[in-house]
Amino acid sequence: MTNALTAPLLLPLGTALVCCLLVGRPSVERRVFIAASAAVQCAVAFWLAWRAFNGPPLVLPLGNWAPPLGIVLVADGLSGIMLCLSSVVSLACVLFGYAETPVEVEQPLRLPLMQLLAAGINLAFITGDLFNLFVAFEIMLVASYALLTLEANDRDIKEAFPYLAVNIFGSSLFLIAAGMAYTVFGTLNMADISRRAADMPGDFGALLVAVLLVVVFGIKAGIFPLYYWLPNSYPILHFSLGAFYSGMLTKVGVYVLLRMLGTVFPHTLTPIYTGLAWLAGLTMVLAVLGAVSRSFIRGILSFHIVSQIGYMVLAIGFFTPLAIGACIYYVIHHIIVKSSLFLIGGTAMYYNHTDHLPRMGGLWKASPVLGVCFLLQAFSLAGVPPLSGFWGKYLILFAGFKDGHYWLVLAALVASILTLVSMLKIWLGAFWEDVPRDGTIEPQTSGAARAMTAIVCALTTLSLAIGFGVGIFLPLAQSAADSLLDPAIYRRAVFNLTGKGAP
Amino acid sequence: MGIETAVLTGVMFAIATYLLLNKSFVRILFGFVVLSNAANLFILALSGTPDGKRSPVLAEGTGPMVDPLPQALVLTAIVIGFGLTIYLIMLLYRIFLDARTTNADELFRPEPGDD
Amino acid sequence: MKAVVDSFLLRALIGLVFLLVNIVSIYLLLRGHNLPGGGFIGGLMTGMSFLLLGLARGWTELQRELPVPPLRLATFGVALAAVSGAAPMLVGQPFLTQWQFHLTNVPLFREIHLGTPLIFDFGVFLLVSCITVKLIIVLARSTAGLPAFTPGEVPYYSSTLEDPIEHEPPAEESHGN
Repeated sequence: MTNALTAPLLLPLGTALVCCLLVGRPSVERRVFIAASAAVQCAVAFWLAWRAFNGPPLVLPLGNWAPPLGIVLVADGLSGIMLCLSSVVSLACVLFGYAETPVEVEQPLRLPLMQLLAAGINLAFITGDLFNLFVAFEIMLVASYALLTLEANDRDIKEAFPYLAVNIFGSSLFLIAAGMAYTVFGTLNMADISRRAADMPGDFGALLVAVLLVVVFGIKAGIFPLYYWLPNSYPILHFSLGAFYSGMLTKVGVYVLLRMLGTVFPHTLTPIYTGLAWLAGLTMVLAVLGAVSRSFIRGILSFHIVSQIGYMVLAIGFFTPLAIGACIYYVIHHIIVKSSLFLIGGTAMYYNHTDHLPRMGGLWKASPVLGVCFLLQAFSLAGVPPLSGFWGKYLILFAGFKDGHYWLVLAALVASILTLVSMLKIWLGAFWEDVPRDGTIEPQTSGAARAMTAIVCALTTLSLAIGFGVGIFLPLAQSAADSLLDPAIYRRAVFNLTGKGAP
Repeated sequence: MGIETAVLTGVMFAIATYLLLNKSFVRILFGFVVLSNAANLFILALSGTPDGKRSPVLAEGTGPMVDPLPQALVLTAIVIGFGLTIYLIMLLYRIFLDARTTNADELFRPEPGDD
Repeated sequence: MKAVVDSFLLRALIGLVFLLVNIVSIYLLLRGHNLPGGGFIGGLMTGMSFLLLGLARGWTELQRELPVPPLRLATFGVALAAVSGAAPMLVGQPFLTQWQFHLTNVPLFREIHLGTPLIFDFGVFLLVSCITVKLIIVLARSTAGLPAFTPGEVPYYSSTLEDPIEHEPPAEESHGN
């Protein structure tokens, strides 16, 4: 029993409530308070992850009801990694938002809603109950709907509707899947489901529940047939929020896919793995083509999210311990790189006052540091050695090659090259070329520009560390994958709990 | 679940899917309302036939009780659906005020200057 | 002030009806621990009583007469529920642990069954009733063509980029391009 496990949920929630109740108007003090809270969340997340790695998974029975009666919160290695990533990205985005928006024009509800979003995301990472997962998704999605439309202008707000429609449809499916899981397994506790599902191999009901859940989380992660809600809706957001959305929201879907297929369901669902792998192949190629066709930074980067999701899901589709470890490493790499690319885009927008590439330019002369950061992150995203993206892609492709998925490996390589092409498009349009006649560039020497560049540099350093420290991060990801793929560890931790109603 | 509930849920899902695939955002909104109610009905039906069972309430009396868990789930789902419906209505109202239409064809018609 | 529903009966009786509905909703809140009822249902009933009040007296009057901003009270409700859940952690119990007390020989009531879930439920009650009141006011006012928010609230809820929702959009936007 570890009450500290509620901190990733309660700290952001409490911060949001304090902001709404006590300090309604944006002020410097409120900004300091939120940043301090984000820093504390970061520290707590790392402490929880450290504890989860050095021992059995942390568990907490809510209301002191013993599982499977009550809801449990569980944090194992993978949850710990995801909590760390979400808190780091949240801190970076909060700080970047401060530099991006002057305090006088900040929307008063933006930061409280962002904290609420973080609370929902964190709850999804630590919950050990299927229905509680639904609630976590809803907290996250409702906060994301509100943030998406909070500061949208009149022209863009219609793009929010497809986002809402698809996600609400997904939530209804999730509800149905949870209900079916309860009928088939008689429980909603994930550890209990995994125990009972292991006792009924080949059961059609269990397969149906698994397929439904995979479809639901595929929608949330943005896999091929149902990804069109993502690339048009994210560009509505400010860059600081876009970085948080692009870093975390779809990765919650990937995390839950890993959790469901790795821990909850028995490892015999081969048709699902094959289907996922092929859908992932289609996702990455089609989405990267979308990215090449766009001509504004947020549009290109939003399509890249979908394309990169393809790599992670491809690794899940290969479903070997090596591939799962590579997938977790890729998630670590991707969240940091994607968020920092969005933030680089935000800095570029600050210089050029637009993010439409035909009207941008001259950034290389204006800020070489930003250019170097962009190049490093873009090459990392495309998978140029020895940066972090290379190791992730190399391991995933190696796992696929070993199992003989040659066509999928080829698709991944093609997608990689096209990624590089679209990144070079940003490079040429925004950094290398001179400012076109109808564009502007301001030599920014203000504190805001320096603060933005500093945040971007910090994230780039982190991403370089992930790339060059592959000897540390890969074993970490592999050990998280090993404990993810061994449901016995998870079950033992959950069922060792005592409480009211224990058998 | 009884056959009549199954049929009713199926019909509601069919209607909801038809409405969700429409081009008018108002119909999509109604589709969502029907869809969430269909999902709620589905979950409620999972607690089995209520014939001869008591309601899951701590009152006097003994005997078999209807499974209370699906009812708790449905309550949560209803609350969430309630909030989302209101949100959708307000969003749609704002889109309508901004663009004077809620038809996807007219809303997403490409404008000169778009890429 | 022009009422929405112009009826003498409604105007005369609304005070009584408001009181009765709220007594029922408090009753539902209190019995919610182990009988049908609870904070959500009670909160919805209170919200409906404000709907009746608004119909009888007009939305502007209702908005003016509210003693506190509803959303502030709703946030307070969430905070109350969260604190009641977090309080057991101070004494080393898991998050959301609840306790019950059964008091006998209480004058007037004979016996009372009380539990800490009531605090949580009261938070839910505040949240649901206040959110409902706010939603009703906003929806009713904006569909009636009145400004949905008071001037003080506008910078708090609206985007810095959009035109206020009540303004008519410029004519050229009304037909596509």
